[in-house]
Amino acid sequence: MGFMDRLFGWLKAKKKEANILCVGLDNSGKTTIINKLKAPDATQQDVVPTVGFNVEKFVTSSLVFTVIDMSGQGRYRNLWAHYYKETHGIIFVIDSADKIRMLVAKDELDQLLDNQNVKAKRIPILFYANKMDLRDSLSAVQCSQILGLDNLKEKPWNISASNAMTGEGLNEGIQWLSDQLQSVR
Amino acid sequence: MPGMRKDKDEEAGSGNPFAYIERTAVLQEARIFQQTPINPRKCCEILTKIIYLINQGEIITTNEATETFFAMTKLFQSSDVIMRRMCYLTIKEMAKMTENAFIVTQSLTKDMNGREDIFRAAAVRALCAITDSSTLQGIERYMKQAIVDKVHSVASAALVSALHLTKHTNDFVKRWVNEVQESCSSDNVMVQYHALGLLYHLRKKDRLGTSKMVRKFMKSGLKSPFAYCMLIRIASKLLEEEDAGHDSPLYDFIESCLRNKHELVIYEAASAIVNMQNCTARELAPAVSVLQLFLSSPKPSFRYAGVRTLNKVAMKHPSAVTACNLDLENLITDVNRSIATLAITTLLKTGSESSVDRLMKQITSFMSEISDEFKVVVVKAISALCQKYPRKHAVMMNYLSSMLRDEGGFEYKKAIVECIIAILEESPESKESGLSHLCEFIEDCEHTVLATKIIHLLGREGPKTPNPSKYIRFIYNRVILENEAVRAAAVSALARFGAQCDDLLPSILSLLSRSMMDEDDEVRDRATFYYHTLSQKDKPLTSAYILNGLMVSVPALERCLQQYLKEASDEPFNMKSVPLVSIPTNEPKPDEFSSKSEEKPVASRQEIFAEQLSRVPEFAVLGQLFKSSDPVELTESETEYVVRCTKHTFPQHIVLQFDCTNTLNDQILEGVTVQVEPSDGFEVIAYVPCPSLVFNQPGVTYACIAIPDEDPTDVTTTLSCILKFLVKDCDPNTGETDDDGYNDEYVLEDVDITVADHVQKVLKANFGAAWEEVGDENQLEDTYALSTVNTLQDAVKDISKYLGMQACERSDKVPEGKSAHTLFLAGVFRGGHDVLARAKLVLKDGVTMQLTVRSTDIDAAQVITSAVG
Ligand SMILES: Nc1nc2c(ncn2[C@@H]2O[C@H](COP(=O)(O)OP(=O)(O)OP(=O)(O)O)[C@@H](O)[C@H]2O)c(=O)[nH]1
Ligand SMILES: [Mg+2]
Repeated sequence: MGFMDRLFGWLKAKKKEANILCVGLDNSGKTTIINKLKAPDATQQDVVPTVGFNVEKFVTSSLVFTVIDMSGQGRYRNLWAHYYKETHGIIFVIDSADKIRMLVAKDELDQLLDNQNVKAKRIPILFYANKMDLRDSLSAVQCSQILGLDNLKEKPWNISASNAMTGEGLNEGIQWLSDQLQSVR
Repeated sequence: MPGMRKDKDEEAGSGNPFAYIERTAVLQEARIFQQTPINPRKCCEILTKIIYLINQGEIITTNEATETFFAMTKLFQSSDVIMRRMCYLTIKEMAKMTENAFIVTQSLTKDMNGREDIFRAAAVRALCAITDSSTLQGIERYMKQAIVDKVHSVASAALVSALHLTKHTNDFVKRWVNEVQESCSSDNVMVQYHALGLLYHLRKKDRLGTSKMVRKFMKSGLKSPFAYCMLIRIASKLLEEEDAGHDSPLYDFIESCLRNKHELVIYEAASAIVNMQNCTARELAPAVSVLQLFLSSPKPSFRYAGVRTLNKVAMKHPSAVTACNLDLENLITDVNRSIATLAITTLLKTGSESSVDRLMKQITSFMSEISDEFKVVVVKAISALCQKYPRKHAVMMNYLSSMLRDEGGFEYKKAIVECIIAILEESPESKESGLSHLCEFIEDCEHTVLATKIIHLLGREGPKTPNPSKYIRFIYNRVILENEAVRAAAVSALARFGAQCDDLLPSILSLLSRSMMDEDDEVRDRATFYYHTLSQKDKPLTSAYILNGLMVSVPALERCLQQYLKEASDEPFNMKSVPLVSIPTNEPKPDEFSSKSEEKPVASRQEIFAEQLSRVPEFAVLGQLFKSSDPVELTESETEYVVRCTKHTFPQHIVLQFDCTNTLNDQILEGVTVQVEPSDGFEVIAYVPCPSLVFNQPGVTYACIAIPDEDPTDVTTTLSCILKFLVKDCDPNTGETDDDGYNDEYVLEDVDITVADHVQKVLKANFGAAWEEVGDENQLEDTYALSTVNTLQDAVKDISKYLGMQACERSDKVPEGKSAHTLFLAGVFRGGHDVLARAKLVLKDGVTMQLTVRSTDIDAAQVITSAVG
């Protein structure tokens, strides 16, 4: 970490920082996605279900991202709310092959959008329709329909189909998020 | 394990920057944790304040804690090293205050496995603090890795944290034993020590496993001196438990550690040897000589360790320490007063009688400079000295009385008072001076416990002095000036003077009459009771109600009264049916440094037996348990079956309780009884068998014997006993038992029913009064030659034992060099008859005894007299 720290210090001088919260149901691939974004070339290590949260940093061409990767298991979901207030953007990951729990994901999303701290700000929300590689996965459009994203007017949002194992689709999403964050500030 | 905090508390005086911080304000400030960018310097300061508040005992509500905790988690976004470590500390402090602490699990796991070594150990500790049995599973893999981590601080942290985890999840941690074992061979001193500590903790319930472990390390040796010390401790504990002789390899190991190159290990080994039970002089010698070297060490801590340990040795084995006298002399003037005190008190134990005065002078010169704890050590040394050199009583009494006048806390004063009491009870010459020092002390004594103790003593001893009247003033002053407890004690003491000194009786009565108006119930009641009892001028009455009091056991009295009320009988309550207080046999006094014995009342042995026997339906009709004997072994040790017998005496019956143990692991015994052969008219009326006896689990069987009622003086016999049972073979490993068995028996030693089994000891505080009270109506007298004993002391011991009675008025101690002695014995015979015996002993070609027995019952007197014949 020592080397990375110095790098950040040097970059900080000209790049803006952004705090991002990464949420979504358990097993949707949040941690896998963040790991891939952080080190695109490294082969994926074993990921275990997250307990609590995890802080990761990575840089894109324009921004320094600090991502809080939350745990998605049922009993931990109520902890997300503690981190809404300071966040500049949200990444919401959906397992597009998990049709059965799609409604659960919608329910969680609705609660998120209903939260005072989220309502108060016009923060961008990036959706990843993850696990697009799986055979019976839903498309990004199908996912957005089930989640009712068409009705989401008060926030800028975007949905990208992704494969966290290969990194496919991730950069498009992050690019959109970077643009949003820079235009806001 | 050594604590982690090194920082000294520097809060003295106005220098403490946190002196005026306030909880709500600090928690308010904690909101800046949420701001971006994070300001590490400021955040660290607030974290420090939070930890400070928690350690000051400030109560933080669950809501406040949860909010602050979540705010703190945001600091994980920054990788500032100092701040991160402050976060770890905060997590540990707050772990138990919020149930959401687990939220940092992932972040801590990451840090503990990360590349930043400076985070790793602290992260392990914080992680274990937030883990409970439900979340342990998730981190198990990492903990196992951390235990064998090549970074020492991480391995140590993991080992110590695992030890803490065993508090709630012992079985879980047991699964890591392979890893722990591996780090036992670490070449880092701390890791090895911590690993051994944990390994022992995991195994300590398993004696065989522990012993194997110790033997393994004894052979392979250890690198770490700390681990060596630990191993010595475990080895000496095993030695004690196994009760192994000193030819055991464990002992050899400890002894070999005396030659270790680390002083720490040498000291530990020496200390282990001197603390061993029944250590012989030869074994002590090498330990004492290394301790002697410590005495001349330039380091005060070694000198202190050496002298403190030798001081302890000197209590039991003064001669072993004599060799160090010269070195000890040099420490008398040590600048460290604790070392000097211990050196002097050690010399007092080991030195000759002639050096006592010099040492005492030396020590009194700095008595005011040492703490109470060491003053107590000095008093104890004086007390030991007085036992050894009775001629020094007068001198010591002077020192003690001046110490009594000095400043000092309760423990110190209590030690002095006890020492003075011990002296005056030992030596009649010191009695009067001792009593007058104590009188002076209670004139200005703030400790109620000591005041009542002394007043009670004055009441007991004062009337027997040549000039009793001089104590009355001191006692009566207490009635005027003190609190209720002391006043009540003083009233009782006055009554004792009235009961024994006829010429003082009128003045005592008038003093008592004044207390009959006391504002306290207890004081008033006592005064009224004593006034009216004394006014009767009836000697037997005063003896029974003032001088010798009630001898029954109070819990038993309560139980009997409850029983009586339940049965609603027309007969008056019979006081004689209440079991008596059992008189404890003299326990050896605890060591000077051993932990204080708890002074809470425990159910007496007899109470426990009564309770157990009352649960056996067969014995419900036998009445109140009168007496229980000490257990007698009926088998040799190390035989197949171990049986011991306890005799319980009831009004008309004796219940024999046989505690049996089966020491064969391939047998189960069923239907176990002890068959008793009737003899001399003693008849067996019931057996209660033990259904089954498995390997090493004690079981109980009873036999109930009726005492012959034709001749009430037929009370002794010898009963032969046979253990009878059905044997079934079983597999020691699987516990599988054969269905068929065969009958077998095993001959036991005979059980003797003696006179002592029919007599309960009673302590008559005033024997003379009791003697008159019983009177000579049933008196028997005879003279005997005791051919088997050669000294008066032996005679006293044997007679007390045969008769089963209590020696009163300290008459069990024969003064040195006397050729005649009178022994006073008191007891109660089965059925509730008082028996008293006076044995006049003369030493002249063996011992001659004139025995006079008085009793309220002629048969009882007869039985007692016959016991000696
Ligand atoms: N086939 C496929 N598997 C994926 C993809 N993304 C993640 N996974 C797998 O899905 C599983 C869950 O991934 P995680 O990253 O642990 O999921 P998470 O959302 O962080 O889960 P929690 O931490 O429990 O909330 C892992 O076995 C991943 O290897 C993907 O795009 N395709
Ligand atoms: Mg995860």
